[in-house]
Amino acid sequence: MACPQPLRIVLAKIGLDGHDRGIKVVARGLRDAGFHVIYAGLWQSPEAVLRAVADEDADWLGLSLLSGAHMTLVPRVIELLRKAGLADVGVLIGGIVPEEDIPKLTELGVARVFGPGTAINEIAQFLHERSGRKWE
Amino acid sequence: MSLDELIERFRRGDRAALSRLLTFAAQGDRTDKIRAALDTGGDSASSTPTTHHSPRTIAVTGSGGVGKSTLVGKLIELLRGRNEPVAVLACDPQSSLTGGALLGDRIRMPTRPDDSGVFIRSLATPSGHSGVAPHLDVMVRLLRAFGFRNVLIETVGAGQGDTAVRDVADIVAVLVQPETGDDLQWEKAGQLEIADVVVVHKADLPGADRVESQLRELLNLPGCRTVPVVRVSSSKSEGLVELWRAIESVPTG
Repeated sequence: MACPQPLRIVLAKIGLDGHDRGIKVVARGLRDAGFHVIYAGLWQSPEAVLRAVADEDADWLGLSLLSGAHMTLVPRVIELLRKAGLADVGVLIGGIVPEEDIPKLTELGVARVFGPGTAINEIAQFLHERSGRKWE
Repeated sequence: MSLDELIERFRRGDRAALSRLLTFAAQGDRTDKIRAALDTGGDSASSTPTTHHSPRTIAVTGSGGVGKSTLVGKLIELLRGRNEPVAVLACDPQSSLTGGALLGDRIRMPTRPDDSGVFIRSLATPSGHSGVAPHLDVMVRLLRAFGFRNVLIETVGAGQGDTAVRDVADIVAVLVQPETGDDLQWEKAGQLEIADVVVVHKADLPGADRVESQLRELLNLPGCRTVPVVRVSSSKSEGLVELWRAIESVPTG
């Protein structure tokens, strides 16, 4: 067994949403917290995100949505992950998500929703606590 | 899942198994066993009849910001247009302070998500490895054995002296952009020595003619090995066909 390796996280924005300031701050912050951040960028489709997660063998997927389309797009991503046998990849959501949608998203399998004002340390700590290595 | 089982699935063409084996290789985890399996497993890339040319591993190197990822993205487009499978190993720097890395090459290589003929893996590369991730040779072999006959290695933004990629690639393309250094700059030992093809990238910018003529003068002296110099503008999609032709014309092996 090799020594503990940095966790790999794909960060992406899906759908028609050009607001990438927040996700870039998170990308930079997680980099500084020792993560390997694969930044997939703006305007991604759920299918493109799935491909990135699969080919990058990521431990986590972080999606940022400020468009209000989270209840449409996030379930599609989770469904695709499940179908591809990647249900063990943890999904984080960031951005603008109304309170009442958060339980619905966690019900679907989202590990956590982080809203505006979240400290980077909080995200990093959450990822470390929740990440048992998913393979031997 | 055991490593043996994983290798079995890899041999059956399971892309997820390839992805996981690449992770093991990148982490230096049981690379000896993976190497041994590749030695005995028969290389599907070499046993399948190839259409146009033999498998090639092409390194794309040059300083940070010269346009390596963008050019690789353009080459993917070109190769997929010819129905050639292509895999990319994209190296980006890993912080020596925190161990963290922001891997941002993928974003510059737009691909169709349903196209199984492309595979892109981003690799954090610790400093002190001369611009390429450790165990890159194992990763190249895995990709080739899986059927990706063209493997493109994008190095970390590399400067003078980062020449380690020579050891894992068949062909090295060094990218240079206009307005970089005077003519003496090119006389120095280092990257240009390992180049099989030199690309004057961003050739639509002013100064491209000057840098091109300096390089041609330097690289094609009588009695020396000739190195093709190709002008490419990725933003205008110019020179890509010529570049690939130059790459294909490099004698290997």
